[in-house]
Amino acid sequence: MSRSLQHEVTLLELVDRVLNKGVVLSGDITLSVADVDLVYVGLRVLLSSVATLEEQAQLAAGGVPAR
Amino acid sequence: MIHVYGVVEGLEELPPLAGLDDAPLERQRIGELEVVLSRAATPTSAEVTREAVLLHAQVVEELLARSGALLPAQLGRGFRDDEELSDALRAQAQELGERLQQVRGCVEFGLRALAKDASEGETATGSDYMRARLDDLRRQDRLVAELHEPLASLARESTLHRGPAGEIRAAYLVEGESADAFRKAAERAEGSPAVTVVCIGPWAPYSFAGTEARR
Repeated sequence: MSRSLQHEVTLLELVDRVLNKGVVLSGDITLSVADVDLVYVGLRVLLSSVATLEEQAQLAAGGVPAR
Repeated sequence: MIHVYGVVEGLEELPPLAGLDDAPLERQRIGELEVVLSRAATPTSAEVTREAVLLHAQVVEELLARSGALLPAQLGRGFRDDEELSDALRAQAQELGERLQQVRGCVEFGLRALAKDASEGETATGSDYMRARLDDLRRQDRLVAELHEPLASLARESTLHRGPAGEIRAAYLVEGESADAFRKAAERAEGSPAVTVVCIGPWAPYSFAGTEARR
């Protein structure tokens, strides 16, 4: 995995954990709708990153992407 | 507004960091539990910016290194005052105590995996579509049996999410002394020619901190 892609995937995994996981002790929700949308965009980017990885791995192995 | 970073047990000392809005970190005991928090004058302080996410995560990571057990708090929730925080913690004290016990001595690893021959989204006919979806499901079952289950057997607890296109997403709560063995097993899977595997960690146990939706 390239260093920049590794960095991007790690950042998105981190954002997902900080915003979507962790214990909810309740309290007021201070996230706005726009912010939440941003997170989902990030997750889509991550999935497409995995698809890109797949192609890179095949190219690196000397093959042709199968699809 | 009070911003909570996590519920801690056996915290040696606060990390030398400022919290959100440059406010100092504080530790506060509520009943049997201890939390680490910071206070901001304005109610909008928990606005989600890239900086806020990174800072929250950095504080959590520093707390993990200094604690016996830690439940990271979700970012984006604030308490108006000490009373509101204290009420919320007392109401969940028993569950939080049990969760602390469960994550003690553990770190989390995250995994995403996709079979390399997963189908493309575009299909010509309805039956092509159904066939492609069935293939995706079969590949997903294989990922679960051949990748997820062996890794889960090295973990104290795990979560599994099956994605719509045959991908899987999992998290593993791994004891400190098993972390090397887990990482080696994950690296072997990352080297597999048939599967795209991304395993990232160790994290603080974000995916195992919630008292809801467990098993």
